[in-house]
Amino acid sequence: MATTFETALKPFPLPAETEDEGYYTYVEEVGFIPRDIFKYVASDPMGDLQRFSTHIVIQHTLFFISFLVLASTGLPIYFSDVFWAPYVISFYGGIDIARLIHKIGAITMVITSMYHLLTIMGGTAIKIFRKEFDLKRTQIPRLKDLYDLIHDIKYFIGLEPYRPKMEKFMYKQKFHYIAVTYGTFVLTAAGSALLFPDIAAKLLPQTIGKILPPSMVGAQSFAAFFQDLARLMHADEAILALIVLAFWHWINVHFVPGRFPLQWAFLTGKITREHQIEEHFLEYLNNLKEIPEEREYMTRLLKEKGLGPLEEKPSKQKKCTLSDFPRIN
Amino acid sequence: MKISNRRIIFWLLWIGISAQLFSVSFAKAADKENCLMCHKYRSNARIDETGKKRNFHVNEKLYNRSVHRNISCRDCHTYITKIPHDPVTQKVNCANQCHIRPPFAQEKFSHKKIIDLYNESAHGVKPDDPQVLKDALPNCKFCHLNPLYTKISEKRVAYKETLARCYNCHPESGVIMAYKHITHRLRKRTSRSSRKIVKLCTKCHGDNVLMKKLNVSKKALRAVDTYNRSVHGKLVRLGSQKAANCINCHASSALHDINKRDNKKATINKDNIMQVCRQCHKNADQMFINIAVHPEAVHSGNPIIKLVSISLGLGMYGSVLALVGLLLLETLGRRKDGARLLLKRGTIWYGKQKSKSPKNK
Ligand code: HEC
Ligand code: HEC
Ligand code: HEC
Ligand code: HEC
Ligand code: HEC
Ligand code: HEC
Ligand code: HEC
Repeated sequence: MATTFETALKPFPLPAETEDEGYYTYVEEVGFIPRDIFKYVASDPMGDLQRFSTHIVIQHTLFFISFLVLASTGLPIYFSDVFWAPYVISFYGGIDIARLIHKIGAITMVITSMYHLLTIMGGTAIKIFRKEFDLKRTQIPRLKDLYDLIHDIKYFIGLEPYRPKMEKFMYKQKFHYIAVTYGTFVLTAAGSALLFPDIAAKLLPQTIGKILPPSMVGAQSFAAFFQDLARLMHADEAILALIVLAFWHWINVHFVPGRFPLQWAFLTGKITREHQIEEHFLEYLNNLKEIPEEREYMTRLLKEKGLGPLEEKPSKQKKCTLSDFPRIN
Repeated sequence: MKISNRRIIFWLLWIGISAQLFSVSFAKAADKENCLMCHKYRSNARIDETGKKRNFHVNEKLYNRSVHRNISCRDCHTYITKIPHDPVTQKVNCANQCHIRPPFAQEKFSHKKIIDLYNESAHGVKPDDPQVLKDALPNCKFCHLNPLYTKISEKRVAYKETLARCYNCHPESGVIMAYKHITHRLRKRTSRSSRKIVKLCTKCHGDNVLMKKLNVSKKALRAVDTYNRSVHGKLVRLGSQKAANCINCHASSALHDINKRDNKKATINKDNIMQVCRQCHKNADQMFINIAVHPEAVHSGNPIIKLVSISLGLGMYGSVLALVGLLLLETLGRRKDGARLLLKRGTIWYGKQKSKSPKNK
């Protein structure tokens, strides 16, 4: 497949012509990588570079299916007076079966979340143990993400020539990850209260009701207050999650130009080379370091274009860094 | 294909049993007075003086499957003394004794016990009630004239197996009815589906104009709306038999003892409500019973909930607008890189560069 797109490669000029700092990134033994090389690389639509482990792919699949099942059984209950609700319910074979399916979906989602927590905590522990852990390659937000967002917006409106060089997870993905984590937590907590209202009322000690001023929790006991909160949060969070997923996540991941029919990463765990370079440039540099084949490919490509590695090492003062190589002269 | 003998026997038995069931359900009604001679005709109908359509047709098949199938017409329509009869001016009185003498009892059957209970309930007419209220209160016939042809199904009960035991001593034809009569009441509070119960009570309690006229409390005025908003209400509306309907909470197994909250006998009285919830929520305790089962709209009442609701709403519209805005911006912004939505080329980078080289100013 990869060769089909080899024709997309076009010669491009030597580094000398550019005015921008950071347009070229020099990687030792590879060469000068122009920021927009992603337009010229060969890419397999099914993905070239490992991005997600098999665990993550399984978790995504389970989460995705359980979410759809939960949404399609939960929404008709919430909107029970809307005309389509009974049809959806009868599709599932009646309300009591739909309720059961909703519960099975919920349990699947909770187990998936646990599984996810286990894998990321275990994976992090192993990485720390092997001294491979790198905060920049995780989902943890950093100030850089904010700058990246601003940079990216500037790029979109034409104030910056290139998109920011981003890590494995960019600002969008970090935001979405946090949103999903928070949403799952809220939905699980509120859903448990709807499913086991009697146990929730037992577990919540009456003292909480006494600590908070009575005007805040209303005249009734804290259990009643919490139940009201759970009813509200469960429905609102679910609708929010559904809207964000349907109108943003799916469009953003699969429907935008460059990714259109499908991004197979959610099944193959691999990201295409061009996408990696465009949106996760710094991760691509990591790939170059870690994957010999990738290094070979890029070296060959750059050599073809006359951007190969320097013959001699540059002098000390001119020491190149990975992220910010000044243009050569 | 080979069909085993056992299977054939099974099907034959099955057909036999179902035929038996049908023959029983269509048992002859007690039409000793031969009223159906005239009333079986569908054309027995007319438009009365006020322009209302009246239908005097009695569908024999339906009647024979109704609960009153064994009662002769004149046990209820007592005022008919000769045939052909005079124009009817009287109404049926549900307190009549009929000529059936039920097992385990000495007197003739009547609904006296229920009527006594009912008269004491919130729905019973008290002598000093104002006239509007008297008119608005339901009588037996309001709730029970609704046809009840199809009872909720008992498919899931292994009833044939249990019933077989009764054949040891009783003839099949009679005992099936007796069996159903008993077991049905053991399993189900009502013969109507929960949805039908809610529909029945909604006829009056959902009629806000009527309820306003009666000056009922604010809670009572909004009872149906708030119930429909609850999870119980939503589940029942979608056909659940497990969630609570109005009768589950507002009446004991006597079914007609619906009382006002402050009445000591009311099931929803503070002292009794725990038992009500415990029918289904085994762990119900003093805290649990405070949970609103007629929940008001989230926005009214508690300030925290209002705050959460508003911020969730803002969060929703805010994040969706911001995200979709960013998405559009990104899609448009990336056009200058040549990223355009082209169906043909798939996931790779496509679209021709505008400039000849990647960097050419
Ligand atoms: C000879 C035919 C005939 C027989 C037998 C008969 N009915 Fe009727 N019945 C009628 C007709 C015709 C009407 C419609 C009268 C009218 O137009 O108001 C009627 C009307 C009625 C009504 C409704 C009256 C009203 O205005 O609400 C009742 C109740 C009733 N019959 C009961 C009985 C009962 C009970 C019996 C058996 C004891 C019986 N009928 C036998 C012909 C008959
Ligand atoms: C359990 C009591 C009961 C029995 C048994 C009964 N009816 Fe009725 N019937 C009623 C009631 C209640 C009404 C409603 C009118 C009223 O309140 O008088 C009614 C109304 C009617 C009407 C008038 C319908 C109309 O639209 O006004 C007819 C005709 C009638 N019955 C015929 C019969 C016949 C024929 C039988 C016997 C096969 C019979 N009923 C048995 C209780 C009974
Ligand atoms: C051991 C034999 C036996 C079995 C089995 C049996 N019954 Fe009975 N049943 C009797 C006898 C005997 C009576 C009469 C008792 C009396 O009147 O004191 C009776 C009376 C009744 C009566 C009251 C009838 C009346 O008119 O008083 C009903 C209803 C009844 N049985 C239903 C059932 C059902 C339903 C089953 C199956 C679950 C069943 N029986 C199984 C022997 C039996
Ligand atoms: C507010 C409506 C309402 C009124 C008024 C009402 N009932 Fe009922 N009744 C019900 C409901 C609901 C049931 C349960 C129905 C079911 O089984 O589907 C019921 C059940 C019954 C039963 C069957 C009991 C059982 O255990 O199966 C009888 C008998 C009865 N009612 C008689 C009466 C009589 C007599 C009156 C008049 C005093 C009356 N009802 C008034 C709503 C009402
Ligand atoms: C025919 C109309 C009608 C029907 C049907 C009806 N009700 Fe009522 N109900 C009333 C009226 C009228 C009152 C009296 C209101 C008052 O006294 O303030 C009332 C009072 C009540 C009350 C006490 C309300 C209070 O203000 O404290 C309860 C609870 C109640 N009904 C429940 C039910 C349930 C449950 C059903 C369904 C099985 C039902 N009702 C069916 C008309 C009806
Ligand atoms: C889960 C149990 C439950 C169900 C189901 C239920 N209610 Fe109630 N209802 C209550 C309780 C408890 C109250 C006491 C008011 C309160 O504390 O909110 C009440 C209050 C009421 C009142 C006001 C009575 C008063 O004295 O203030 C009316 C009227 C009423 N309900 C009607 C209905 C109707 C009609 C339905 C069915 C559509 C229904 N309820 C379903 C539990 C229930
Ligand atoms: C006839 C059975 C029944 C009765 C009686 C009943 N419930 Fe429920 N209730 C249910 C069912 C079924 C659910 C749905 C739970 C599920 O999906 O597993 C439920 C859910 C709930 C919930 C969680 C959903 C929500 O609305 O937040 C609460 C709280 C609740 N019931 C309160 C009560 C209270 C308080 C009472 C007593 C006044 C009561 N219930 C009486 C059957 C019942």
